[in-house]
Amino acid sequence: MDKTTLTPEESLLLITKTIEETKKRFEENGHIIILWGCLMFMVFFSQYVFSLTGLYKKFDIIWTVILFPLGMIYTFIYVRKNVKKKNLPTTIIGRIVGTMGWAMGLNLMILGFLFSRQLGDALAPIFLILLALSIIVIGASIKFKPLFIGGLLMNLIGLGSFFISRDYHGLSMMLGALVGLIIPGILLNKAHRKEHV
Amino acid sequence: MFNDLDPILHSQLRLSIVSILMTVDEANFTFIQETTKAAAGNISIQIKKLQEAEYVKVKKTFKNNYPNTTVSITKKGIEAFENYVTNLKKYINPK
Repeated sequence: MDKTTLTPEESLLLITKTIEETKKRFEENGHIIILWGCLMFMVFFSQYVFSLTGLYKKFDIIWTVILFPLGMIYTFIYVRKNVKKKNLPTTIIGRIVGTMGWAMGLNLMILGFLFSRQLGDALAPIFLILLALSIIVIGASIKFKPLFIGGLLMNLIGLGSFFISRDYHGLSMMLGALVGLIIPGILLNKAHRKEHV
Repeated sequence: MFNDLDPILHSQLRLSIVSILMTVDEANFTFIQETTKAAAGNISIQIKKLQEAEYVKVKKTFKNNYPNTTVSITKKGIEAFENYVTNLKKYINPK
């Protein structure tokens, strides 16, 4: 592969192609985004159902305490395995997405488990706004518009939740999960598959 | 004809390696080989030339008892790459 008589056009094309090829290996398939969207949707949907059936106090903690940490463990194993399998080096974007993901995830869990009483009615809106911020940053970093727009919509839902009764916050969370995570995740997965056919 | 173009970078494989290193923090030998699809021996020679020019830094370690060579671009390498691209553009669009 060592041709020394490259024309300027060939050189520029080679640079572009190599950078594109390198970037392709880092592309996200949306798996983790869909997973967290579904987890969030399931937890709040079940809470909603349990509250209707009067079983809320019995099952709320079980769902939240089991499902979210399980999701975190799965995400950690999946990311590690993926990096090892694809032999991926670190990049600035990878570090931004990774740090944002775990730092925000950890803080949201702490807020939800330890400070829900102090935050009161503001818990769901703050949860949605903080999650939206990380989605916006990740969407902008990986240059994927649907994720960026999904984050903005989740942000608006979070702000809007301040104006509605706490009884409907579960619905806000479900809607946030749908527009901010599930739909952009599916679109990202589709784009990834199209690219790798 | 292309006097201003850095001869170290004006080679297909070396340019590919440097382009990869401009995208990542550091890359191991296998990643470079998989991305460029070039022969291991050829990659080694070109990395050595880039190292001699101080465009890249090579780190040799062990990972799970196997040798692991990681390569990263230096400040000098980044500057050389940026100058190379600027000069390329001048050739393509002389105005």
